[in-house]
Amino acid sequence: MKTLFQTILKVAPLVLLLVAGAALTARAQSARLQMDQLDPLANKATETVDVKLDERMMQTTARFFASSDPGDEEIKALIKGVKGIYVKSFTFEKEGEYSQVEVESILSQLRGSAWNKVIGVTSKKESENVEVYLLNAGDQIGGLVVLSVEPKELTVVNIVGPINLEKLAQLEGQFGLPYFNLPPAKPKTKQNQ
Amino acid sequence: MKRRLAITALAGAILVLGSPFPRARANDDFSAVVRAIEQFYHVKHQNLPLLARAAITTTRTAAKIRGGEAKRIAQAGSARVVFFEDQEFDSRGRIATFKASLENTLRDAWSPLVETLAAKEEEQTYIYVREAGQRFNVLVVTIERHEATVVQVTVAPEVLATLLKDPNEMGRAITSDATINDN
Repeated sequence: MKTLFQTILKVAPLVLLLVAGAALTARAQSARLQMDQLDPLANKATETVDVKLDERMMQTTARFFASSDPGDEEIKALIKGVKGIYVKSFTFEKEGEYSQVEVESILSQLRGSAWNKVIGVTSKKESENVEVYLLNAGDQIGGLVVLSVEPKELTVVNIVGPINLEKLAQLEGQFGLPYFNLPPAKPKTKQNQ
Repeated sequence: MKRRLAITALAGAILVLGSPFPRARANDDFSAVVRAIEQFYHVKHQNLPLLARAAITTTRTAAKIRGGEAKRIAQAGSARVVFFEDQEFDSRGRIATFKASLENTLRDAWSPLVETLAAKEEEQTYIYVREAGQRFNVLVVTIERHEATVVQVTVAPEVLATLLKDPNEMGRAITSDATINDN
């Protein structure tokens, strides 16, 4: 009996570590959206852009940004801790080429979880709708999603890891990220018409 | 006798399963991509008789990307190029199926970086990356309505870091410099 107790004591830290590791992995994974269901839209889109920069690729190459280049140093600081950048963008020739089903397949992943909508911009005139969601992971931000819905365009950006709107603005145009020209986040979601 | 048997078995296994060495697997992946294009589009590739020149121009490509000031970084190491010319690339509304088949072909060893598709014009660019020791292999597949190119190069990590900042431009530059004869 004593031997069994001693064994449990020895194994307990390892088990705790494994459980903690699994929890952290699950948290990291939850910041990554499932977006592959949108792929068939490429058959109808006039232009499709699909960017996948995973953690290994980002962190491996981040080490090699030239320290002599101030721009590279800035980027290096911006992507520090970022575990992935994923972009899917579809541009269509005419309206109605994608449905609410595709939009809902993204939105459903953002509801009832730790995701919070921090920006929602709706333009009735242009029928545009841009929403920004942040994932709360304790006192940190665990990820970001930008969903841009236009009559002839659908764009989803998913950044996994510590990121905020300020960083996002600085990263626009790099790593395959489009330009959003987002307004600053407000405490309460406000719709601009 | 046992030794001879073991060698024969190993040789047989290599023949059946392919070489265990990464370099040979890289070649297999390159060929598998070419085969995937041929099977999906019912086209045949042409071998480029300028492989040596392609390796040289890759160096120039990287130097150009680095603003022409970093030639030492751009020791590409090797380059493979396959052309498809004057053929019909028509995905018949199934461009997403081809994208998926390419992803399946390279799933095990390569990471997709950027994929851009224009279904109406049948224009597609795929950039895949994988680690190759201290460097990286970059595979660029470019398909247009009447031609396609598959290029594989080895780049230094510094060049890949640049690639990540503007992946689309790097894909175009690699393909262009590896295939345009400017002599």
